[in-house]
Amino acid sequence: MYHLDDSDYLNEKYFRKTQSVCPECLERIDAEVYEEDDQIFMRKTCPDHGDFKDKISSSAKYYKWTHWAIKDENGNVIWKFDKDGDSNPPDCVGEDPRGCPYNCGLCEQHISTCSLALIDLTNRCNFNCNFCYANVLQSGYLVEPTLEEIDRIMTHFRSKPIPAVAIMFTGGEPTVRKDFPEICKMAKDHGFMEVIAATNGYGFQSKKGGLEWTKKVKEAGLDTLYFQFDGINNSTYEQTRGIKNLMPYKQRVIDNCREAGLNSIVLVATIASGVTDIEVGNIIQYAIDNIDVVRGITFQPVSLCGRIAFEEREELRITNADVLKKIEEQTGGRISMENAWYPLSTIVEMGRVIAYLADVEPIEFTCHPDCGFASYMAIDPDSGEMMPVMEYFDPLKIIDFANKFWEKIKHKEKKPIKLFTDLLGEGIGETLDKGLNFLDKTQLRARFLIGILQYAKKPGKLMEMFSRVLINGDWESISSFSYGTLLLSSMHFQDAYNMDLERVKRCIVHFGVAMPDGTVKEISFCTMNTIHRPEIEKQIAKQITPKVRDEFDTTTGQTLEEIQQEVARNGGMKKESDE
Amino acid sequence: MSDEYIEDKDGKKIRKLVELKTSTAKEYEQIMLDRVEEFKNKNAEKSIFNNFIQNTLVTGVGTLLNLKVKVDEALGEDNLKKVHDALDKILLIGL
Repeated sequence: MYHLDDSDYLNEKYFRKTQSVCPECLERIDAEVYEEDDQIFMRKTCPDHGDFKDKISSSAKYYKWTHWAIKDENGNVIWKFDKDGDSNPPDCVGEDPRGCPYNCGLCEQHISTCSLALIDLTNRCNFNCNFCYANVLQSGYLVEPTLEEIDRIMTHFRSKPIPAVAIMFTGGEPTVRKDFPEICKMAKDHGFMEVIAATNGYGFQSKKGGLEWTKKVKEAGLDTLYFQFDGINNSTYEQTRGIKNLMPYKQRVIDNCREAGLNSIVLVATIASGVTDIEVGNIIQYAIDNIDVVRGITFQPVSLCGRIAFEEREELRITNADVLKKIEEQTGGRISMENAWYPLSTIVEMGRVIAYLADVEPIEFTCHPDCGFASYMAIDPDSGEMMPVMEYFDPLKIIDFANKFWEKIKHKEKKPIKLFTDLLGEGIGETLDKGLNFLDKTQLRARFLIGILQYAKKPGKLMEMFSRVLINGDWESISSFSYGTLLLSSMHFQDAYNMDLERVKRCIVHFGVAMPDGTVKEISFCTMNTIHRPEIEKQIAKQITPKVRDEFDTTTGQTLEEIQQEVARNGGMKKESDE
Repeated sequence: MSDEYIEDKDGKKIRKLVELKTSTAKEYEQIMLDRVEEFKNKNAEKSIFNNFIQNTLVTGVGTLLNLKVKVDEALGEDNLKKVHDALDKILLIGL
């Protein structure tokens, strides 16, 4: 593990104070994160609703590693996984005296920028999963922004000093909207480099016109499917989605995307203990088998909603560490917990060096280390077997080098060289300084490239692409590199039981909501779903018209009844599939 | 696609992951190169992949990496560590 040779630190019991919310009344309360029986828990007490305890991590060792800090001889922290990101100016003045998390957003307490912008395109869906918050039939109202409102949200995210580079359309099922291709095009026109749809595959899988539709949305600008994929067994989907024989439906999405050339699919698996946790190895192998179109897998330990007793939560609760253990177990130890995984925030300094030297928009993953872990898999050119990309270079060394490098040059970002401007004034002096800065960056780039590549262990096209990432830091290089690898990640979204306001403040995944007064609210993912959603939706909800109710799918004008039949035919309720 | 399965007590299929091999390794590298072609065509002269100087530089880096990996093997672990430490210091001098 990275820098984990400090046994004294490992032997100390972990403890820190933070703030959370009461799962009953959602009021802010103090909380403690502590170690017990080699696991990490959160405890908190609400004056009105009593004591609460919840598991944060099933591995104290792993958790402590991600909260470890490098200190100098005076005990000052010089590097750690959790860090404050660069912030955009706040969108609003926090009017609620209780502060975070009630003032989203974003308010002045937020200390990360948005890396991934989200827009809920609709709460209509062809599935009817009983645990989902976004369901038009259960909620009794429609949430569906107009094109003008979507345009307003996109403008909001792209007009900030540090704009969001990627956008994801969520729902409901976003592809039931007739204007979905138009919305994808709109996102590209706004300058989003990555346009993503969080989908169960509905629009892509249709037997009648699914392929043509897939081609159409790709042409319009859709880059990636964030594709709901709970496993390879029909029985798993029956448990998670309540629909029988769903795997052919899922396979058809993969096949149509392959044929349409939409070859960036991220499989998204909700991991619930005893339900989908046995599928993690299956999903990895499935991704490898479909590696020409599958770019990554995101495992999402399930968030728990509603009133659940501690004992029951103990049974249901699955943490990032559990997912990593399952992956290690189910891949024969090839993707090991101790060597393959890093918190997303690990590469922040490296990203900053690259962005500074290449003069590009930085992509900052300054989320809290508890939010998620990632690992890249790549094909060993010698054996043809997939392995963690850590086998390609020494990750500890390159991260160390990048950290030291950034520490040395970060002052230059704020204070470029102004030698000639001071001597000769603006005009010629400025031009000469521009040249000087260019030369300085060129020599820095050469040093950085050598410093990182000295730790490379394997040659080949992938490493050549990696060197392009280091030189350019541009989207073309990053995107192409990601096409040569398989990204594995685990993202644990918070619920009211385990909410940690240190995580909330560092959230990098933000919803954008167009409000009736013409403004846009930017709200961090976990607070939206745990705290703000009911109040927000009360303000933006529309009445369900007979048209919405009856013409469920605006793409085809089909009725809800017909859609259900189609789901049944295409992998749904009927056992007799016409596959 | 691997056909080796075991079944759990509920009859769920679980792949026997004896290795993480792909039958499409060649295609996987190709898909990265196809992405490069896509950018080349879409962004024309704006694409970094159509920049002659950079392409030459990257090809050079690739050749050097090939050589470096062989030198690393010849040096052995201890000597390599010394080289890395020295190089780290040199590269950070004067910053």
